[in-house]
Amino acid sequence: MEGKRRSVEASGGSVDEAVEKALEELGVDKDQVETEVLAEGSRGLLGLGREKAKVRVTLLEPGEPREELEEFEEPAPARADVAEVALEVLRNLLHHMGVQAEVVVREPAGDESLPIVLDVEGDNLGILIGRQGETLRDLQYISRLIVSRKLQRWVNVVVDVGGYKRRRERILTELAERMAKRVMDEGRAVTLEPMPAHERRIVHMALRDYESVRTESTGEGGRRKVVILPKEES
Amino acid sequence: MKELVEYMAKLLVDNPDEVEVAEVNATRSVIFELRVAREDMGRVIGKRGRVANAMRSLLRVAAAKEGKRAILEIV
Repeated sequence: MEGKRRSVEASGGSVDEAVEKALEELGVDKDQVETEVLAEGSRGLLGLGREKAKVRVTLLEPGEPREELEEFEEPAPARADVAEVALEVLRNLLHHMGVQAEVVVREPAGDESLPIVLDVEGDNLGILIGRQGETLRDLQYISRLIVSRKLQRWVNVVVDVGGYKRRRERILTELAERMAKRVMDEGRAVTLEPMPAHERRIVHMALRDYESVRTESTGEGGRRKVVILPKEES
Repeated sequence: MKELVEYMAKLLVDNPDEVEVAEVNATRSVIFELRVAREDMGRVIGKRGRVANAMRSLLRVAAAKEGKRAILEIV
C-alpha cells in the first residue's frame, strides 16, 4: 500500500457544510477522516465582512484504524482471505434475508489497490438495491463491518447487485459530461436531480479535471443535488 | 428474520453470548427486541444510529420476502 494521504480542502457557509462537501468528494464517512478547520467563517454584519468556513479533510490510510476498530492490530490480510471471508459473510446475510442469489467475486482488472467487488446475481434483485441504491449501500456497510471484525482489520470491499453500480456510474458519468458541455456552451449553471451522496460523488469526480466548469452540492438531506457551474476566470 | 438479526448482532459485538433477540408478533408486523451487553450498545447502534439503520434496512428486505413489516428495537 502506498503511503500517500489523500486530503481535500473545501469551503462552505459553515464548518459542517464544508466538511460535508469534502466527505462527499472523498466518498467516505466522517469517521474515516481527520478534519482540520482552516477558517471558522463568519456571517459578517448585514452581509458585510462575510467569510466562508474552510476545512481540510484527510483520509486516514485504509489500514489506519478507525475509531470503532482501533483495537485491531493484525497485519493486512491477503486479498484471497478477504475475498473468502467476504463471500462467506455476504452469502450468509443473503441466506438469512431469504434472498436466493449467487455471489461472484470480481477482481478489478490490473489494479491491486482497488477493492474486491462481490456481485450478487439472480432474478428479481431490485429489492436488494432499494430506492436510489440505499438498500445496497446498507448491505455493503453491514458486510464491511462484519468482514472487518472477522479479519480484525478495516477492509474495503464493494458489494454490487447485477452490475448495478457499474452501470449507474457509467450513466452518471455520461450525464455529467453532457451537462458540463451544456454549461460551457451556454455559460450558465445546470442543476441536476437530487441524488444520494455516493452518486453525487461520481458526478464530482467525473468533472474534477475540467478546466472551465466546477461542481458543488446544494440543498439539504434527501434534496441534495449537484450544480455544475462555469468556472470564473481567475 | 430473527436469524438475520441474531447473525448480524453476534458478529458485530464483543460479547456474542449476551445477544438476545425477542420476537413480538402483531397482526401484520413483527417487532424484534435486540438486547446486547451494555458495552456493546455502541456497536449495534453506531454513530448517529448508522449501524442500527443499516440492520433495519436489511431486515426490511427479509420481512418483505414474507409479506410482513418488521421493526427492530434495541432495548
